[in-house]
Formats: sequence, structure tokens, C-alpha cells
Amino acid sequence: MLELIAQALYSGVLQGGSYALIALGLALVFGTMSVINLAHGELVLLAAYIAYTVESRLGVNPVFAIPLALLVVCLSAMLVYALISLIRNDREINTLILTYGIGIILTNGVLLIWSADIHTTSSVWLQDAVVVGPLYSMHSELLFFVVSVVLMGGLWWWLSRSWYGRAVRAVSSNRDAAKLMGINPRLTEIISFAVAGLLAAFAGVALYSYGVIQPSYGHVLTVKAFIITVLAGIGSIPGVLVGALLLGVTESLTVTLASSALQELAGMTLFLLVLFVMPNGLFGAARRRG
Amino acid sequence: MNTFYKKLGLTAVTALALSAQAALAAEFLVGAEIPLTGNLARVGSGMNEGISVAVEVFNKTNAKHKIKIITADDESAPAKAIAAVEKLAGQGVLAITGGYGSNNIAPASDAANKLGLPYITSGGVDDALTKRGYKTFFRINNTQGYQKAVVGLLGDMKVKSVSIIYLTKQATGDLAKDVQKELEGKGLKVGTHAFDPAINDFKPIINKVKLQDKSEVILMVGYENDYVGILRAAKVLKPDVKAMVGVWSLATPKMASEFPDLMPSVYGTALLPFPAEFKTADGKLFADTYKKLYNKEPDYLGQFGYVQSMLLFEAIARAADKATLSKGGIAQELSKTSRDTLIGHVIFNEQGDNPNFVHRMGQHQAGKIAIVWPANAATGKINFPGVPW
Repeated sequence: MLELIAQALYSGVLQGGSYALIALGLALVFGTMSVINLAHGELVLLAAYIAYTVESRLGVNPVFAIPLALLVVCLSAMLVYALISLIRNDREINTLILTYGIGIILTNGVLLIWSADIHTTSSVWLQDAVVVGPLYSMHSELLFFVVSVVLMGGLWWWLSRSWYGRAVRAVSSNRDAAKLMGINPRLTEIISFAVAGLLAAFAGVALYSYGVIQPSYGHVLTVKAFIITVLAGIGSIPGVLVGALLLGVTESLTVTLASSALQELAGMTLFLLVLFVMPNGLFGAARRRG
Repeated sequence: MNTFYKKLGLTAVTALALSAQAALAAEFLVGAEIPLTGNLARVGSGMNEGISVAVEVFNKTNAKHKIKIITADDESAPAKAIAAVEKLAGQGVLAITGGYGSNNIAPASDAANKLGLPYITSGGVDDALTKRGYKTFFRINNTQGYQKAVVGLLGDMKVKSVSIIYLTKQATGDLAKDVQKELEGKGLKVGTHAFDPAINDFKPIINKVKLQDKSEVILMVGYENDYVGILRAAKVLKPDVKAMVGVWSLATPKMASEFPDLMPSVYGTALLPFPAEFKTADGKLFADTYKKLYNKEPDYLGQFGYVQSMLLFEAIARAADKATLSKGGIAQELSKTSRDTLIGHVIFNEQGDNPNFVHRMGQHQAGKIAIVWPANAATGKINFPGVPW
């Protein structure tokens, strides 16, 4: 039993790392602009399909698709922002509707271009097992867990230490005051979306490297990312990591100790419990520092 | 002048007669309600290919009757499936072919029944579909056909224990439970592990099989993405099993070509070996037309779509010949079906089910698929024990 639980915890942590990578972009945009980008999962999926195309056409490891995925997804994210910026009234509710529509368009675009077939990497190295004592994982899971933690650290540093990161936070706190300080809110919002696109690109390549992709999967990713963002506490980067790990471990332990049939229920129960006890999320505004 | 008018009159009469003939040979409208988008888009597209091949073959081989298909995407959603059927009915179709997923087929065929439209499918194996006793509902495959094949193969393997990993959907859950019941009845030790459609890491489940069940065989009841996830997790954890067995969507040319590292020695239900060998004239015609239209090897979804549609088109033709189209003739003709097809001899019982349906089991072997069960249909020797790692 101990061996089972150890593997469940290990799998849960790795799974949490991948959840965090997927949720990070959504959390950034939500935290800085109060915009819930419901097309975020589709942007992640777009990167995954770019990784598939690069691997299948050029025969190279999907990791090498990252530069192309970055370019395409960042541009797509900025295009999403360009559309959002046209909204003048009731921005929060209208962006929900707009991004939901963009998500549907992206899903059907993926379906048209890549068909409904499922895909996953054929890289043997990415799929090969890494055995650490009684713990098993794939190279891809470990690799992208590290990438996820590094990106999170980088994002936290950028938001708290760099001028542009501080500008993003200033605009999210008080747009008018930020303007008076000489910050261009439009530029900082574009940068936020571009960074969210960057994170989505990494998340998509990671997803393709250890999972199975299909056109209808984008919506599932968005929902998962949204749950983690709210669980974390709006705008909290460390909260995203903790929330994602908590969700990953809860799901994994549920599968091991009970049944996979209950894993979604367990995840949602955790979500509701946390919100019931801590309405601002794990690292919500009341607890956030810096 | 009189001669001119006579000629003119004769020409007019001939033109009228020809147009009347054309009207008599008018196309019959048939609706295809299929998921072309949403999470069933892949399987829906496969079935749609078979339907298109059936239309092509029927129209080419029938001088008297022609079929025109109107396709409606049900978006893999029950409510949209009802809307699709109602829309097709509004466009004047005589019957519906298609449907995928028991949860979509149930409301869609319910709507078709209320509208008096025959509905034929191969996309849902839930027993509840036929238990409704609709006179307008027909299905060419069922859970029992898959169950016989899986249990038959496991019986030939003479294994003592099996772990069933199954998706928590109606059709997959029913099949898993039926197989479990039958295997336990035969004295086998059976462990079951349900998984949620949202799962994306199967390692915890495979670890339970490895450390707790210690079964000889893993039986997977799910869909393509599930099989890939399970096989990948099993390749990492390497449980001490003798065989990895699945059901639909697994022993297919696509899986062989897309996932060559995961498939060696894996079993799944298969109608034909790969490369396909069609021995009957009907089979050759189907395969040639399929390759001409889609420039690829036909798969099982195409075959099922083709068979169900061909049976429907033939029933429409017979009803048209008997002038019973508007008197429930299509359903009556379908219920009288008794014909050899690409999936075996098809008849329909009172509930519209095909009691003759028995699947075959194929095994991935060196990039090809050999039929290994039943013995009388085998095209290759079984590789047992054998796993992809």
C-alpha cells in the first residue's frame, strides 16, 4: 500500500506541475486585467498541434517546436487582446462571451486543419521511463515539471521585480493612477497577453509530449485552468502552483485509494471546500504579499 | 402545317413522358445524423465516410433508384442530435442513418420514432436502445457481439485472472460489467477499475493492477485516447501481464501507423485483417470505392457505416417498388432483412437488434493486424504471451 501511495503522490505532483503550466497564463490575465480568457485552453491546444505538426513533418523532437509555437500562440493571444480591446461596455461579462466564441472558432479551426484524429508524441525518449526507487514517470513529465517550476519562478520574478511586471500590477490595481505615473495601460495589457501566450505555448508543447491531444480538448483545459486560478486566489502565482499541486495530488490519491470515477468529484469537492473556508482562494488578496 | 403541329405534339408528349420517368426515378432523400464536431468527431467522420461510400455504390449499382444524402452534424451532443433529426425530417428525408454514442442515439432515435422515421445505426451498443421496442429502430451491432469475441479470446488464452479498466460511460460500463459477470461465471478472478473521461494519467490505475490485482491480462474498454494513455502508462510501469486486450477502435490501421511503439501484440476487435483482404464482390466494391473516395485503407467505422446505410437504402428501394414508402414500408422491409454483409449475416429481431452479430479479435503484429479469433476466421498465429514492452 505504501508503494501505491508513494507513486500516487509522485504522479499527483507531476500532474499538478502540468496543471500549473496550463493555468498560469489564464491566472496572469485574470489577475492583471480581470479578463477571463475562455479561449486559453484552445491556445494551449494550438501550441500542442504545432508541436505535432513539427514532429510529424520534420521528424524532430516536439521540444524543438517551442520557438514556432511561441510565435504563433503569442500572436494569437495578442489578436485575442485586440478583439477584447474593442469592447467598451461591461468588459468583464462581454469578454467572457467573446473569448468563449473565439474558443469555439479555434476548436473548429483545429478540427478543419488537423482533423478529429488523436495525436501524441512518437518520441521514444520523451516516453521512456525514469525510475527513482519505487517511483515511475516519463522523461516528458519530469522535464516539463521542471520547466513549469522555472517558468513560474520567472513569472513571479518578472511581476515583482521588473519594471514592466510592476507596471502590469500597477495597471491591475488602479488603471487611472498607473496612467498618472506614466504607464501605458494598453501596452502593459498587450504584454500580459503576450506573456500568457508564451506560457500557453510551453503548456501546449508539454501537453503533446506527455498526453493525447484532440480538437475538443481545449475546453477541458480552460475549465481546469479556471478552477486552479480561483483555487489559487486571483493573481497569485505561488497560489497557482500550490492549487495545481493540491488538485493533482487529490485526483491521484482518489484514483489510487478509491476510483478514478470519483476523481472529478474529489477535485470539485476540494475546490468548493477551499472556497468555503477561504473565499479569496488559497493566496487571495487578503493573504497576498508582494 | 398539320404535320408540324403533330411533330410538336409528339415532342411535347415525349418530353412529358421523359420528365415523368425522371420523376419516377427521383432521388430518395435520406438523412445522416452524425457527430462531425465535438468529442465524437473522429468516430463520426469515420462512419460518415462509410455512408458516403454506400451512397456511391448504391447509386452506381441501381439504375432504378437513387439516394441523396443530407448530412446534419449533431455536434456530439444529445440536444443537438434531436435538433438534427427534426431538421432532417423538415427537409423531407425518408429515414435516418448514423448516430454515434448511445447517449446521443437514444434521444435522436426517440425523436425519429415520434416522427415515424426509421433510424439505423452501428454507433451505440447500450442494451437500453433496443429494449425500448421501437418498430423504427435498427442496430447492426451490440454489446453481446463484442462480449463473445473478448470472452472467446480470453478463453483460448486459458488465463486465470483479468483486470478490466473501463471508461465510466454507459456503453463501456455495460460491456465491462457483462464481461466481468461472464468471466467470473467461468471461474476467473476479475478486478475492475473504472476511469473518468477526464483522466489523463493512468499510472495510478496501472500500479494498482501491478501491485494489487497481479492479473495475467489487462482488458481495456474505452476509446482511442484512453488506450494510448493506458498503454503508455503500462509501458512505464511494466506490469507482469501476458496480454493487453481492448475492444473497438484499437486494432485499426490508424492505430498501427500512428502509435507503432505502443501497439505490438495488442489485441482489439477487428472485422478484417490489415492490410484488408476483401473476398466477396460486395467487399471488393466497398474497398475500391472507399480507396477511390478517400485514398486510404478502409477501417471498421467505414465498414459499419457502409453496411447500415446499404441495408437502409435497399429497404427503401424495396418499399418503393411495393409502393409502401408512405405506409411504414421502410421499417417493414428493414425488419425482413436477411443478408450477408461485410460484418456477417444480418437479421433484425423484434427489437431491431442483430442477434447474429459476433465480432472478431485482431492482434497488432509487425505493423499489420492479424485476425486471431475465432480460429475459423484466423489470418495469423496468435502471439501469446506478448506485450508492447
